[in-house]
Amino acid sequence: MADATVPAPPASQGWQSARRRAFALGLAPSLIVLLAITLVPAAALLVASFTPLSLTDPAGTFHFRDPLGNYRHLLEDARFLGSIATQLKLSAASVALQLAVGLGLALLLNGPSRVLGAARGAFLIPMVLPPIVVALIWKIMFTPDVSPLHRALDAIGWPVRSVIANPDTALWAIAFADTWQWFPFTMLMVLAALQMMPADPIEAASLDGADRWQLFRYIVFPHIRPVLVVCGLFRLIDSFKAFPLIFVLTDGGPGTVTEVTNYYGFIQAFNFSYWGYASAIAMVILAGVFTLSWLVGRLGWNDHDKR
Amino acid sequence: MTQRRHLLQAATGIGASLLLPGLASAQTGGARRFQGVTLNVSTFSAAYPKLLQQWLPEFEAQTGARVNFDAPSFPVYNQRADLELSTKGAAYDVVNVTFIYSSRWINSGWLTPLDEFIANPQLTAADWDVNDFLSGARAPETGRDGKLYGIPWTAEALLSVSSRFDLVQQAGLEFPDTTDDLVKVLRAVNKKERVAGFVSDSHYGWTFVPYLHAFGGDVFRKAPDDLFPTLDTPEAIAAADYYAQLIREFGPDGAVTYQPDQVTQALKLGRVNFSDAGQLHLAQLGDAATSRTLKTVKFGFVPKGPAGRFPGTAVHGLGIPAGSRNKEAAWAFIQWALSRQTTRRAVAAGYGSPSRRSDIDSAEFRSRQRINGSDLAQLSLDTITQAERTGHMKYRTVSVYPQVDQQLNKAIALIATGQANARQAMQQAQAQSIAELRRAGQKI
Repeated sequence: MADATVPAPPASQGWQSARRRAFALGLAPSLIVLLAITLVPAAALLVASFTPLSLTDPAGTFHFRDPLGNYRHLLEDARFLGSIATQLKLSAASVALQLAVGLGLALLLNGPSRVLGAARGAFLIPMVLPPIVVALIWKIMFTPDVSPLHRALDAIGWPVRSVIANPDTALWAIAFADTWQWFPFTMLMVLAALQMMPADPIEAASLDGADRWQLFRYIVFPHIRPVLVVCGLFRLIDSFKAFPLIFVLTDGGPGTVTEVTNYYGFIQAFNFSYWGYASAIAMVILAGVFTLSWLVGRLGWNDHDKR
Repeated sequence: MTQRRHLLQAATGIGASLLLPGLASAQTGGARRFQGVTLNVSTFSAAYPKLLQQWLPEFEAQTGARVNFDAPSFPVYNQRADLELSTKGAAYDVVNVTFIYSSRWINSGWLTPLDEFIANPQLTAADWDVNDFLSGARAPETGRDGKLYGIPWTAEALLSVSSRFDLVQQAGLEFPDTTDDLVKVLRAVNKKERVAGFVSDSHYGWTFVPYLHAFGGDVFRKAPDDLFPTLDTPEAIAAADYYAQLIREFGPDGAVTYQPDQVTQALKLGRVNFSDAGQLHLAQLGDAATSRTLKTVKFGFVPKGPAGRFPGTAVHGLGIPAGSRNKEAAWAFIQWALSRQTTRRAVAAGYGSPSRRSDIDSAEFRSRQRINGSDLAQLSLDTITQAERTGHMKYRTVSVYPQVDQQLNKAIALIATGQANARQAMQQAQAQSIAELRRAGQKI
C-alpha cells in the first residue's frame, strides 16, 4: 500500500538513470584494467621506495623497518643533490632552446609556398628518429676521431676540442643534441596555431600602421602563447627523460657533470641493484615533474582560460 | 626455413658426431637425447659466442635440443641477467657468468654448481678434462664453498702496448718497464708525428687499478674478507694523480671518453702510441689487413711501480642458473661449447683468448700470437699466472665492486678534466663508496 503513496518518477528521469547505470557498467571493466595497469606499477614503486630492497637479497631486504630511510639518505647524498641541479640546468637550457628555435623557424616557414612546405617536412626528420639513433648521430659528430664536423673545422684552421670530454661544454652538448631532436615539435605546434590565426586583426593593425615587431608582440604572440606554454610543458616533462643521449654521449661524465637525476636512479637500480633506493629517486622525480607541471600550468595557459 | 634448418642439422650432425664422439657417448640415451628440449642461452656479444652461434646446428643435430641464443651488448646483458638471476627464474638455461658479477651471482645462490655434472661419467665425456682450463681462470668462477659455477671461455690479461715503438727507438729508449720509465718515454714521444702519447679505456675501474696496486694502494683493505674501501690513502691518491696526469698530459682530444674499441682503433691507426688493454683487443693489432702499426707495434707487461707489478685479468664463463628447468641439457651445451674440439676449432678460426691450456700451448695459437716479435700468448699466460699467485684480482669479483668501480671511473675523470685534484677526487670516491657499501648492507 505504501508504494501507492510514492509518486512515480517521470519516465525521462528513469531512462536517464538507467542510461547512466548502463554506461557505468559498460565502462567499469575498462576502467578497472586501466587503473590496474597505470596505478598498480606506480603503487609498487611507492611501496618499494619505503624498503631497502636490493636484488642481491630480495627476500631479506623487502621489509618496512625504516620506511623513510631511503628518503632520509637522499637528503644526505651529495651526488643525488648534484644530479637535481644538473637536471634543472639541462631542462632549462634544452626547453628554452627548443622553444626559441621552434618558434623562430615556425615564423619563418609560415606561408603557402611549396618550398616552405618542403622545408617544413625536412625539419621534422629529427623528431621521428628513434632516440638511440639520435644519440649515435651526435656521438659521431662529437667524437673528434671520426667526426666530419671536427675534421671540417680542423681543415679550415679552426680546430675545436671535444665538447663531450670538456666539463664546461658537456651539458651544453647534450642540450644541443636534445634541441636538434625536439625543436620540430614546437615548430609544428606553433605553425598549426599560426595557420589557424584569423587574418582580420593583422590586416586591421597593419592599416593602423603597426610595424612587424608590433604585429608580433601585440597580435601574433598572444595568439600562440598558450601553444608555446603547452610545448614548454611537454618538453619540460620530456627533458626529464633525456636518457639515451646521456647514456651514449657522456655516461653521466666527465665526472658527474651530465649525471641527471634519472640517470643516477638508473645507476642505483641497474648497476648496483639498489631497487628500494632507486624507487625513492623515481618518486622524487615524479613529485618534481608534477610540481613543475602545475607551476607551468599556473603561469601559462590558465591565464588564457580566465580571460 | 624450418626445412633448411633440419637439413643443416642432419648434415652437420654426421660431421659433429665424428668430431665430438666423447660428448655423444657420455650422454645416457645416446644421440638426440634432448629431443624436444628448448635451451635458452644468453651471453654478451663477443668473439667466442659469435662462433658458437655459427656452429649451433651441430649441437642441435647431435642432441636433438633446440637452442635460442641471445647475445646483447655487455651492459644490456649484465642488467638483464642480473635481474633474471635474482628472481631465480627459468628464462635462461645457460648464462655467461660475468667476471665483475661472479661473486655476487655465485655466492647469492643464483647459479648451479657444476662439480656433480663434471664428476658424473654419464653426463661428461672422459676426455673433456676440466683441469685443462687454466686454474687462474677457474678461480673467479669458484664459490666460497669451493664449487665451480662457470666454465671459462675467455681468460684475458691486461697488457701494455706501444703501437709506434719505432718512435721510442728513435728517441733511444726501451719499452717502459716501470711507471717512471713510462713517463720518461711519453715525454720523449708525445705528439711526435702527430701521435698522442697515451690513452686508455675510460673504464678506469679496470685500467687504473694495476697502477693503484703498483703504487702500493688497493681498492679494499683486504678483499674478499675486509671490504673497507681504501681509496683515500696516500698511495691511492698518488696513483690516481699519476694515472690521470698520463691521460691529461699525453692523451688525445676527448681522451676521457674513449671506449675499448676506440682505443684499439686509435692504436691500429697509429693515432695513439701507448695504452693498456686486454689481450683480445691488442691481438687485433696483428691483423695485416687492418692494422697500420703491425710493423711497429710492441707489447709488454703493465708497468711496475714502487710496490711491484700487478697486472689485471678478466675471466668469463658459462654457467647454469639455479632456476633452469633443463640443467642436464644445459650442461650438455656447456660441455659442447667448451669441448676440446670446439675450443680448438675456435682457435683455428682466429679466436684470441682461449682458456684451455692445451689451446694456449698449441703451435697454431702461439704462432699467431707472435706479433712483430712480441709473444702475446706468453705475456698473457704469465699475467694470469701472476694474478692467481698474488690474489690481487680478488677485489674485482667481490659483490660490491661494481659500486666502487664506478667511483673510480668518476674520480679519474674528475682529475683528468681538472674538476678536482687527486686528493679531493679520491676522498670523494672514498666517502661515496662507503655510503654505497652501507646501502648494500656491508658491515664496514
